[in-house]
Amino acid sequence: MRLLTRNDIPSLKNFIATVVSMTPKPGMVAWLLHRLTGLFLVLYLVLHTLGLRSMGDPVAFEKYVTMYRQPLFKFAEFLLLGVVAYHAFNGIRIILQDMFFRSGTERPLFYLVLLLTVMITVVGGYHIIYPYFIAPLLLWWGL
Amino acid sequence: MGTRKQSFSVRARAAGWLWQRLTGVGLVLFLALHFWVQHMPTGFLATAEEYAVIMSEFAAADQRYVEAIAEGKIRDALPAEHVITYDKVSQRLANPLWKGIDVMLLVFAALHGMNGLYNVMGDYLRSSGARKAAFGGAVLLFLAVTVQGVVSIMSAGVR
Repeated sequence: MRLLTRNDIPSLKNFIATVVSMTPKPGMVAWLLHRLTGLFLVLYLVLHTLGLRSMGDPVAFEKYVTMYRQPLFKFAEFLLLGVVAYHAFNGIRIILQDMFFRSGTERPLFYLVLLLTVMITVVGGYHIIYPYFIAPLLLWWGL
Repeated sequence: MGTRKQSFSVRARAAGWLWQRLTGVGLVLFLALHFWVQHMPTGFLATAEEYAVIMSEFAAADQRYVEAIAEGKIRDALPAEHVITYDKVSQRLANPLWKGIDVMLLVFAALHGMNGLYNVMGDYLRSSGARKAAFGGAVLLFLAVTVQGVVSIMSAGVR
């Protein structure tokens, strides 16, 4: 076992240097994505709570909802589903791995997480973007 | 690395670890329900036809609503679009069971999110002062989100 050096101390600089220097492997990518999606979701939770202060006033609430109904936001809602689905499925993977599978199985389980994330995002996201992006296309094609 | 001073006992950190798992499992269930209710085309949202009726009723009752429509800040629904509306949300939250479910979702999300945020910050903060400040910040954010969220949920439907 080699001795720990200053470069092993956890810090933002060492974190970035390590991430950049490593060849991506499923376990590491899973960890990094879980962290990034988690940080994003905390930020979103705060913004969401601030936005819902409008629940006290019907006009303010309808304005708030209308703002989130712009096409760009509908696409963001689609991506939000993907972010939540990944964080949820990968979280379940972490729990299962702690309890049953142990390490060494993270590769197939991570691919399963990605597959489930894409499936849920496509199936649920279809309904989100349908009126904005899919119905106009169908109309345009004359269907 | 093993010599780093920890702000909390082993028992407290183990409780935080377990709590993150429990709230995580709870959130999967609550968020699946939340997503079904607020983002999927179900009766919990207004159809384009229902939304047109809601808009005209509101416009007849409130001049500010008329102005908001004129300014484009409140818009018609597209064909096949399902819209979250004040009316539908108020109806749902008139049921105390739904209020309870939404408060649970809020509290679980705030606990899980702020504990996760503290865990992430703790990975990059070395001095015990910085770690304590991070913990204090996470607690304050948790309280702010929870209090504001509970006020919003409880005031729903109360004009």
